[in-house]
Amino acid sequence: MNTLTDRYLAATLRSVPAQRRDEIATELRASIDDMIDDRTGSGEDPTAAEREVLTELGNPDVLAARYADRRLQLIGPTYYLLWLRLLKLLLSFIPALVGTIVTVVEAAEGKGFGAIGPGIVTAMQVAVQITFWLTLTFAIIERTQTAVDLPEWTVDQLPDAPVHRGIPLADTIASVIMLVLTIAYLPLQHYQSWVRGTDGENVPILDPALWSFWLPALIVVLAASVVFEIVKYRIGRWTWTLFGIKAMLNLAFTVPLMWLALSDRLLNPALAERLSWVAEADNRDALGLAIAVGAAAVVAWDLIDTARKTRQQTA
Amino acid sequence: MVSEDVLRTHLQELRRGTVVVASLVALRRPDYGYALLQRLTDHGFPVDANTLYPLLRRLEDQGLLTSEWNTEESRPRKFYRTSDEGESMLSRLLDDLAAVQTSMTGLIQGVDR
Repeated sequence: MNTLTDRYLAATLRSVPAQRRDEIATELRASIDDMIDDRTGSGEDPTAAEREVLTELGNPDVLAARYADRRLQLIGPTYYLLWLRLLKLLLSFIPALVGTIVTVVEAAEGKGFGAIGPGIVTAMQVAVQITFWLTLTFAIIERTQTAVDLPEWTVDQLPDAPVHRGIPLADTIASVIMLVLTIAYLPLQHYQSWVRGTDGENVPILDPALWSFWLPALIVVLAASVVFEIVKYRIGRWTWTLFGIKAMLNLAFTVPLMWLALSDRLLNPALAERLSWVAEADNRDALGLAIAVGAAAVVAWDLIDTARKTRQQTA
Repeated sequence: MVSEDVLRTHLQELRRGTVVVASLVALRRPDYGYALLQRLTDHGFPVDANTLYPLLRRLEDQGLLTSEWNTEESRPRKFYRTSDEGESMLSRLLDDLAAVQTSMTGLIQGVDR
């Protein structure tokens, strides 16, 4: 016999504690039969009645969980907030720390900018590991009902009321991401520019000779800008000092960029061999001028916008 | 107009605890799962089978119900009855239910409409 009821009972009993399985089985089968009899007694078709009764009893896994008094959640309200706080705390610095260490070690072994890749991969692996093990620990605590002494909440834990922020977090995150992508692009284009030489080798967009000084210098300026964004967010509003530092950082990046573009030192001369359009001196001059004007326009607009915000927020 | 979902949630919350009280009262006369379900429904305590059956076992584990198998009828049935412990607990619960009703009546009368 393998009726729907048999299958329902098997599915339910699969996950109730073994020592009470037989008893629950006998009782539940009798209850199901009672319910079916009640329906067939009033003239219903037995097969339809069976389906109806089992549908009413619902998902066997849910029923089994009720029999076993098991909670249908991975981490319940008792531990959820603690789990979340620990997760945020651990993820806020450990992956970045380990990733940086790996990058430094790899770089010290002479991998150069190729060390950034392994650093990022390691940081992501560490983040996944932390999340997994922390969640597993809490899921076990939840299930074993271990009495964990959670400190009682007191009013003294209240954080200071937030001051009105002149600098939204979203803006800071967007700026940092843009800066990091720009920093990453500089070494990336050297190794993987998607422009191929005659022998299929990679042709960097930017002149490799710039690596002797200008590109590292620009990366330092960009890295300083990342630090600046974070400090600015901590301070929470624009001040004229911050405006001054921002203006200096912007100029420290843009002026060398414009000068290199205008003196035709920015682009890799080897590009001309592959892209005939770049080979003509007129075109190179026009391109350099466009880059310089574009960069100047972006900086000018940014500084005007920032000055406007600073005046509003210092008023 | 209150949304049906909100209403259903609040009614569920209001009714949740009363199933235990009603079962303890009803099982002063021993009964098996489905018969109890029908009696409760007839008396205006509609309860889902998948809630009641596990609940009976839980109350038994807590010592509030005792049980006995009856094998004389066509199929073996487990009869539950309210234990002495269940009875003393029930009187506390009924007192509290009455207190809630009294407080609610007082509150309704005391508040101008």
